[in-house]
Amino acid sequence: MKTKKAGTIILLVLVVFIPWFNMDTSNDYSIPKVSQEDTSFYEVYPCKISLTEFILSNPESIYQNHFYFRPDNRSSIQCFGRISGVTVLQKGLETQFFISIGTSSLINLLLQAFIWIALFSFIPKNTNLKKNMDILKYKNLIILLTAYLLTFSIYAESRFYEKQLYLVDFQEIKSYVLIFLIFTLVVKNFVEMFVKRSENIVNYLPYMYLITGLFSGFNLSFFAIIFLYFGLQSNFIGIKNKLFSYTYIILSIWWLFNSKGSAFFNVGKLRGFTSSIFEFNANLFWIIFTYFLIKGIWRIYILNKNSFRFSLFTKNLSITSAILLILGVVSANLPIFNFINYYVLGLQRYGVESKTPFAFDEYSVKISWRGIFPSSETIGEFYGLCLLCLMFYVLNTSKVKLVHYVGIFTSSLGLYFSDNRTTMTLVFLSSLFYFFTIRKNTIKIERLKILYSLVIVLSFTFIYFIQSNISTNGYTFMSESVIAKALTFQKDYAVSSFSTLITSPDVSNVTSFMFGFISFLGYILNRSEMWGLFTARYNPTFNELLFGSGPLNFGQLYGEVPVNSPESLLLPHSSVLSYFLFIGLIPIGLLLFIFLKDLYANRANSELLLFSIYISINIFKNDSMNYFSPFVMYTILYLILRNKKDLLNIGKASPQQQIKTN
Amino acid sequence: MAEISNICGVQPEGFVKIDISSDPNFVFENDLNYAAKQLFDLEGNTVFVNSYLECQHYVLGGWDYTPLKNSEILLQESLLYVVTALLVITYIKNIAARFINR
Repeated sequence: MKTKKAGTIILLVLVVFIPWFNMDTSNDYSIPKVSQEDTSFYEVYPCKISLTEFILSNPESIYQNHFYFRPDNRSSIQCFGRISGVTVLQKGLETQFFISIGTSSLINLLLQAFIWIALFSFIPKNTNLKKNMDILKYKNLIILLTAYLLTFSIYAESRFYEKQLYLVDFQEIKSYVLIFLIFTLVVKNFVEMFVKRSENIVNYLPYMYLITGLFSGFNLSFFAIIFLYFGLQSNFIGIKNKLFSYTYIILSIWWLFNSKGSAFFNVGKLRGFTSSIFEFNANLFWIIFTYFLIKGIWRIYILNKNSFRFSLFTKNLSITSAILLILGVVSANLPIFNFINYYVLGLQRYGVESKTPFAFDEYSVKISWRGIFPSSETIGEFYGLCLLCLMFYVLNTSKVKLVHYVGIFTSSLGLYFSDNRTTMTLVFLSSLFYFFTIRKNTIKIERLKILYSLVIVLSFTFIYFIQSNISTNGYTFMSESVIAKALTFQKDYAVSSFSTLITSPDVSNVTSFMFGFISFLGYILNRSEMWGLFTARYNPTFNELLFGSGPLNFGQLYGEVPVNSPESLLLPHSSVLSYFLFIGLIPIGLLLFIFLKDLYANRANSELLLFSIYISINIFKNDSMNYFSPFVMYTILYLILRNKKDLLNIGKASPQQQIKTN
Repeated sequence: MAEISNICGVQPEGFVKIDISSDPNFVFENDLNYAAKQLFDLEGNTVFVNSYLECQHYVLGGWDYTPLKNSEILLQESLLYVVTALLVITYIKNIAARFINR
């Protein structure tokens, strides 16, 4: 067993490093140092020098921060691992060298999938391999269907892939045959690897934050494959959730019927979990993708919920948190590792360039530091979640190991670096609350009442201080902050329908009050600008307002109404707003109702309660649900915590669970 | 058309397309303002063209391959065979494992 693992590690190291040695042996080049004055060598000889040769000739590129290694996905297969071009840019006093490395997208599919499957093989195998034979039913047919679905995404988003695939004719069927076969090979091998390790998957979820698993040059996540497989399978073997399926199908018909026109969206850091275009085919793909993803998550949860071990989960959270921090620092300081991490881990965005995570700006405000994750807020949320889970674990068990202390230290540090103040506050308040509530036998109602009163008093004091800083009359100012920002962003000739709706004098008092209150919250959470920008852009028809325009599709929002160029980030900075755009007011309202009802029914489960409040506040003010890893992690963790009333039993399987497992 | 502009460059102003196929004795005149270009066909044969008209004529006649393009097409085809072989091996391995387990 150990020999097999050692063999896998050696093979993995070889696969990760060998491609960058791909050199042109037919000529003997004298490779000059890259300089500001002369990059002509790389213009004359593109795709001739391997990355290793370049580094040997320019050893300073390993550690000097003005070198930027970037993958060139639209390069030939022959060019893989070679320097396809060098660009020099002057930014202020700094001369920046952008070094493009040939990473043919077709090869990426095979190479990256191999790396991730090999890494996946380190997850321990199921105790009983013959258990759950259900998951093997229709396996080969489902593998083919999954590969077909993934290939269809290339066709549906061909405008995105034209810039990513070299010499692939999107009009010819034979181009898709090659892609389909590669997908089939990848899906087949991943599914084979997964089914032998399915039990443990819920315990190893935190690693999805580390290995994002995005194929370079593709708008697809490697891990989505497994959810699509299980989603499709649950349909084949007849596991039905009629209410969900029928509602989704009805909404899908509307979304497809509504998919008129074409609006491109630059996927950026949302790559892998958002559509690159608002069009019929792309909408169709993302509708099917979301449906099977949700069904897949549910099926994986149902199959493996009894295998969840909180001790192992917190251990993995701690390890992930530590590695994320280390890799973030390495990526920030060594440009070549920034590239290697981006490629090997399948990141959505290059690692942060800021060398020191302790940096402050000229106004003494902490600069948020995201490490290798695409968003500092979302990674702050992860560290906060890590601290919450560790707190649940540490306060409930005596088996605290060194790794847990490492987790507490690195998560606290990571949370500080990310500068996510909401998360810091939430973790602090949750700790207070949990500390009082875990003593179930000696719990004093008076004590709780005091705590609640304290929280309320603190909240009001907080609001009062915010108000006192504003010259105009408090609440009115804050409740109009979003629309005030929207007015600064909107152009005179292009006013969005949503903006018109909420500023109309005919709008009802209830709507006005609700939007005012959301605006007030936005002001407190420092979201007025982003939500104002969303308001200026959001231009739905009445039906779109009620039922959305399709899951994971921002094309319409960003393509319809031109706005004055904003100074802040473009994303809505609220998952609720994003999903409001995707599925509309009525389904969002229904989901909220179901969630609150479920939470009320489980109100005795303090871990679930804290987790839900923590996640709800965060997704209200952040885009985290627009990233694949948090979406999957939060959903599965919610479902698991929902069924675990006593966290102390999570470390070990209960007798009933053991009987079931056996 | 995109293929022609990729290989031959931007069409010169006032360019008039001539139907050369109807004149078997047509002789191309060199354009001094046009940088000579090397074209390749599918089999790797090569020809130098000295005017936009000549370039366009050859490209339309199938001389639109570049060594890089040729090698990429060849590599993509090879990749297709490799992937197919790997798939066959994977399936055979699975079938064999199933028989052994029985």
